[in-house]
Amino acid sequence: MSRILARVATFAILVLAALAITAPFLWIFRGAFSASDAELYKLPPTFSPDNLTAANFGKVTDQVPYFRFFVNSIIVSTTITAAQIVTCATAGYAFARLRFRGKGMLFAIVIGSLMIPIQVTIVPLFLVMSKLGLTNTLWSLILPGIFSGFGIFLLRQHFLALPYELEEAAKIDGAGHFRTFARVILPLSGPSIATLGILCFTYWWNDLLLPLVMISDTDRQTLPVGLVLLAGRFSTGSLGTIAAGIAMAIVPVLVVFIAAQRYIVQSIASSGLKL
Amino acid sequence: MKTPLRKIALLCAAALAVIPSAACSNDDSDSSAGDKALDIVYWNYGPAAESGNKATADAFMAANPGTKVTLTPVTGENWGTYYANVATLIASGKRPDVMVISGEGAQFVHANNLVKPINDYLDKDADAKTLTGDIAPGLIDGFTVKGDVITLTYGWNDMVVYYNTAVFKKAGLEPPKADWTWADFEATAKKLTKDTNGDGKTDQYGFTWASNEIFPGIMPWVANAGGNLTSDDVCSATADTPQVNKAVAYLENLIKTGVSPAPMPMSDVFTRFQNGQIAMFGAGRWPIATFLPKFKDFDIQLYPKGDTYKTVFGGAGYPILKSSKNPDLAWEYQKFTVSTDIEKQYVGTADKPGDSIPSRRSLAQTISKVGVPPANSDLYYDSIDKYPTLVPYPAPAKYSAFESTVLRHLQLIFAGEKSVSDGLKDMQAELSSIVTC
Amino acid sequence: MTQDVVPPAVHGRGKPPRKDGLAALAFLSPAIVTFLVFVLAPTAGVLYLSFYDWNLLSDGTFVGTDNFDRLVHDERLLHVYGSTAYMALAILAVNVVVGLLLAVLLETRMPRWLRGFFRLSFLFPFVVSASAVALIWRFLLNKDLGLVNYVLGVIGLDRIDWLGSSAWAPVSVIVVNSWKTIGFSILVYIAGLQAIPDVLREAAIVDGANAWTRFWRITFPMLSPTIFFLVVINTINSFQIFAEPRVLTQGGPGDASRTIVEYLYDRAFGDFDLGYASAIGITFMLVLIALTAIQFRLSRRWTFYE
Repeated sequence: MSRILARVATFAILVLAALAITAPFLWIFRGAFSASDAELYKLPPTFSPDNLTAANFGKVTDQVPYFRFFVNSIIVSTTITAAQIVTCATAGYAFARLRFRGKGMLFAIVIGSLMIPIQVTIVPLFLVMSKLGLTNTLWSLILPGIFSGFGIFLLRQHFLALPYELEEAAKIDGAGHFRTFARVILPLSGPSIATLGILCFTYWWNDLLLPLVMISDTDRQTLPVGLVLLAGRFSTGSLGTIAAGIAMAIVPVLVVFIAAQRYIVQSIASSGLKL
Repeated sequence: MKTPLRKIALLCAAALAVIPSAACSNDDSDSSAGDKALDIVYWNYGPAAESGNKATADAFMAANPGTKVTLTPVTGENWGTYYANVATLIASGKRPDVMVISGEGAQFVHANNLVKPINDYLDKDADAKTLTGDIAPGLIDGFTVKGDVITLTYGWNDMVVYYNTAVFKKAGLEPPKADWTWADFEATAKKLTKDTNGDGKTDQYGFTWASNEIFPGIMPWVANAGGNLTSDDVCSATADTPQVNKAVAYLENLIKTGVSPAPMPMSDVFTRFQNGQIAMFGAGRWPIATFLPKFKDFDIQLYPKGDTYKTVFGGAGYPILKSSKNPDLAWEYQKFTVSTDIEKQYVGTADKPGDSIPSRRSLAQTISKVGVPPANSDLYYDSIDKYPTLVPYPAPAKYSAFESTVLRHLQLIFAGEKSVSDGLKDMQAELSSIVTC
Repeated sequence: MTQDVVPPAVHGRGKPPRKDGLAALAFLSPAIVTFLVFVLAPTAGVLYLSFYDWNLLSDGTFVGTDNFDRLVHDERLLHVYGSTAYMALAILAVNVVVGLLLAVLLETRMPRWLRGFFRLSFLFPFVVSASAVALIWRFLLNKDLGLVNYVLGVIGLDRIDWLGSSAWAPVSVIVVNSWKTIGFSILVYIAGLQAIPDVLREAAIVDGANAWTRFWRITFPMLSPTIFFLVVINTINSFQIFAEPRVLTQGGPGDASRTIVEYLYDRAFGDFDLGYASAIGITFMLVLIALTAIQFRLSRRWTFYE
């Protein structure tokens, strides 16, 4: 009897939590298809299929160069992700497998870099970028994202947990560090690298601060800035349009998530996020 | 051996060396531009800003063959972050000729010695006389700091009350008249406050104001109580005078008696006004760009009279920057932004209305003729022409600090966590070091 | 930290072989270069600025330690540190405790699709931009006209001033931020739980241990490194929140829901007081480093490694 009760309670909690977490999204999607802003705020909430429209999506593309932003966001996020995987994997390998002086100190610096909020360094960062002549280019969004203390840490943990036997075999065959890394370590690290990639991609996909500060040409802006533009001066934009813009920004990431869902869980599971 | 560390040190040096060496390469590009080039910085707050500035720039180049106008849109979530981003641009070595500023920025650009005043041009340029004759004197004075005229105003806003005509009709109320008083206003708001779905709780409120801005928030009330938040020369704070106390207490009472909901940001107010949850609110002309063409059940009226009636307003313009290499051309551009063709943009059409009031009287008066709602549109310009007691919007040089301080203390007052007098006393104490000359 | 996993068989005890040094440099160089230019140089810039009075437009003036003196006497700063710590610790607790609860519940027997559905819904908010989402929450949490209070009203509760009162505004920030981040914590927990060998639990069942005992004797110790990871990561993240208080409450009322990063951002981009903002930034980094160091020190008492 108590076992049935426990099961009922378990599912009740899970369903409630899932509802609480997804409800705001349902509201956004409903808003995206809503013909009138006014109707969005009726209490109690009403829902009539007659008032549904896809016009808001058209308005998004009318008001901002959505596809341009989309392409920019894809370029920025994927380039950062690819570059971050390279820097983090190589550095993670060095910290996990190589012995060299100053390793402890360097690793402490890596962890320490997590404590620096970008809002703190944004002005000097802008000055560095303008000295490099890169402000108002996509590079000014890409380069600051490449180093990731978290990514190095994540991959180091994963590499530490890999068994040594395979590398031993490679070493006996005369493989150097680079061959060992490329032929033995990397092929075993797909899930962890995927985890890092997904976390990195979603973070930079949503970043608003850097493009706001670095980019002045509308044609080089990214999707989050597009949302700011849709919201307009003093946030005077139509809510239906903003909701449509949010939905259009979420959907691509969501599709990736749904498609890769089981894989993501496995990859985080096998990358063993722990200290 | 210390190989790794030494190598790392070398690498550090190499990496850092990249910065200064690359620095030399980028600065020249701007300066090599021709004599007839202008770089214009504007706030890209949305699609309208971009298309408007592009149209102006194109028209200017067409009218002045051989000139080259480069537009630099600067993103920002509000005027404050826009100024910050422009300052960052300037700090990084960019030298624009002209930048868009709002009235809030006039003292700021003056105090930082960024702009070239236009007094000389106004004296010498024959066109200027015609233009300024068509611009309400208040709009020129509003952009005058210590005798320096910062810029001509192309567009501006004054604060008026928006009311939902459908909600008024349903409540059986007559449209408000221009001479209404605070008592009339409160009575009207009370009648508009209702529980429409019968659950015992109010869900339609008489009036609210923006919690995230002072200008369309408390300012009109403060002015009509005969006060202001700073002295007229914007050199000292006057936030705890009896007048300010009276205005804030009036608003606090509206919340306490349930006529106004807990304050919310401007954009939330817009939406709730359109669906009738809020019957009245205050703003400039910019809401109509959001309301039209879909939502037309609204009209405007002057703010109700307190101990006095004063118009609160603020404008925007294209001042010439000190860094400009072509100040004369920049002046031509500034004049161009108030030319008839460009000003027509700010009038707009019923489907695509302008989001501010044209600065030129002759054009502002066409709003109602062109048929841009609301019906009472003539009030916009009348409020500055026919009610000569004006209160320029109090915008000290440290505007952003000023605004956030005022709003922060108001939050506590309107949440009922501090009494009006204590809250304003604290506000005044803090403002005294922010509002200085 | 798992420093001891490097088996001595591979790398002996003696001095490291010299060629590792060069290899390490090669492997580390991409990270080092990007770190130097895009992390260290700006951070050094912040340190440099903290000794200057600079408003972006003027030439800066060197003011020695004035900015740090000011910081000590800034009463608001202390208050903001307090509200930041309150919200950050609460977000941390929700992530670590509620996250664990939900992850454990997800381990119960259920159809595959259902498990997938739950996981996906929990992860949903993690993929969207914080500021966009905060905008939506602001509408929902509105005191007099929001959906949340409407629902509370239907079940007979009074309206709560979620965004306007000193008591509730920080709670709203906590709820909205936890809502966004908890999916990730749950996922990490699921991963940790799956790594616990079934044999251990089965053995405990054979020994007659009930679910409660099994959790504390097996699950918790085996999970302790995962918990520790989440504590550290969530501390770092929750102390740095910015978008939620900014959009939801503008940090108010007063400073009730203001975070240190928001305060610093306002000093820099609102007041153009770059020097002072930098001084705050420097102390804030030191606080975070100290916090993390303490967590590592304390963790030795409660984490368990095989």
